[in-house]
Amino acid sequence: MPREKGAAPLDVVIGVMAFLAALALGGVLIAERAAETWSGGLTGRLSVQILPEGAAAPDDEVAAALNLLRATPGVVYAGALSDDENLALIEPWLGDNTLIEALPFPRLIDVELAPGAIVDVAQLEARLAEVAPRSILDDHTRWVTRLRGTANAVLFSALAILTLIAIATAASVAFATRAGLAAHREMVELLHLMGAQNRFIARAFEWHYFLGALIAASFGALAAGGAFAAAGGLDEIGLSRVSFLPPLGLQMVELPWLLTVPAAAALIAWVTARLSVLSALREYY
Amino acid sequence: MIRFENVGMRYGAGPEILRDLTFALEPGSFSFLTGPSGAGKSTLLKLLFLAERPSRGLISLFGEDLALTARAALPSLRRRIGVVFQEFRLLNHLSVFDNVALPLRIAGQHSGQYTKDIEELLTWVGLGNRIHAKPPTLSGGEQQRVAIARAVVAKPDLLLADEPTGNVDPDIGRRLIRLFAELNRFGTTVLIATHDRALVESTPARELRIVDGILVQMPERKSGASG
Repeated sequence: MPREKGAAPLDVVIGVMAFLAALALGGVLIAERAAETWSGGLTGRLSVQILPEGAAAPDDEVAAALNLLRATPGVVYAGALSDDENLALIEPWLGDNTLIEALPFPRLIDVELAPGAIVDVAQLEARLAEVAPRSILDDHTRWVTRLRGTANAVLFSALAILTLIAIATAASVAFATRAGLAAHREMVELLHLMGAQNRFIARAFEWHYFLGALIAASFGALAAGGAFAAAGGLDEIGLSRVSFLPPLGLQMVELPWLLTVPAAAALIAWVTARLSVLSALREYY
Repeated sequence: MIRFENVGMRYGAGPEILRDLTFALEPGSFSFLTGPSGAGKSTLLKLLFLAERPSRGLISLFGEDLALTARAALPSLRRRIGVVFQEFRLLNHLSVFDNVALPLRIAGQHSGQYTKDIEELLTWVGLGNRIHAKPPTLSGGEQQRVAIARAVVAKPDLLLADEPTGNVDPDIGRRLIRLFAELNRFGTTVLIATHDRALVESTPARELRIVDGILVQMPERKSGASG
């Protein structure tokens, strides 16, 4: 089938749609990876804070808590963070400022559990309260749950965006197919009168739109891949990223996921073109 | 083979273009369809090649009552009909060869099965050296010969031609009529719509004459063209 005049805008629309779809898909991959990294780093760990009394946390409560924790079955490591380590933790939030050294800080105790160990958090919390009344035990459940919730929200938002993009792409192809049928009316009518089955005629159209969408969407996905590569390389050009956000680039193993975008676009175009042509041909005698 | 009974045809709410047509074309017959411009010849051909449905009456094609024929069965009926359109209707993006091969491709044949036949046919109609040309580069007469080659290539049971010699010189015209006669001798029913009285007079075939949408009885002539 000859390429009709005015087909280029459809290629642009599909290319842009594919670019946006690939960005949404990349966003899902980044959010998923960040959630995994953050929650994975916290799984199997507990934190204990000993709140300050005056300017500093009482050393005897810190020592008592450490003793209790080290004696608890399933705990393989318990250690209090030094002042320098404490400062390093809050530096991304408050900056490198000598004033913060004057602030009252809790002492943090990092606890590592043996793989697969189950610790009764409520019981441990109660025992800690006996030896160190100013202690707070955090098993990170709330943080991990909220993190998972945020990642799920990103995932569902991206799915909604991908669905909208798929609908818009299908509508554009349906519109273009109708226009293509009108442009090739002579040819379609001739084939019809020569006894061509509707699926023979539809085949000429569906492959035309399948190939067009595959090429246009490949360019869109390629551009999105380039955008992710550029975002991943910000450090290299001197733009330091925000330390508590995940890296915005995609990893090599994640890049093949972007290939699903042109594949899906081509499939949508193929199905839409076929259905549109078959529906239009039903109007003929 | 083909039977019309009280067939009438109108477009939308317009006047009747064909009225009470009743006739039959026997298998293997050769007939001319004549009449002044606007008499309804092209509309009758459209009914015959299944481009239009009649507004009333009964049409039977190859023994099938069209009113009772399922929509899915129409393509196979159409494949038994070869049509030479007055305006040729060639596909400009395809070569002469591919235009002629179209009915065979539609019938599901592969190029290995028909390449030699098409080359021979194109040589016979005088286009052996234009096989790879595109229709826009051909003269009117050459385009007409491509259209005729396309109509006959699948050896149809029924050949319909609308003014098939209108754009060619008399020599080529006679050659094309011989081609139709040859096809007719092998069993194809041929119906040619024409204004060319000389062509009609020179060929011993039945004449169906339409005037103002009504079939006019013509004196009986010998049917079957001698070429």
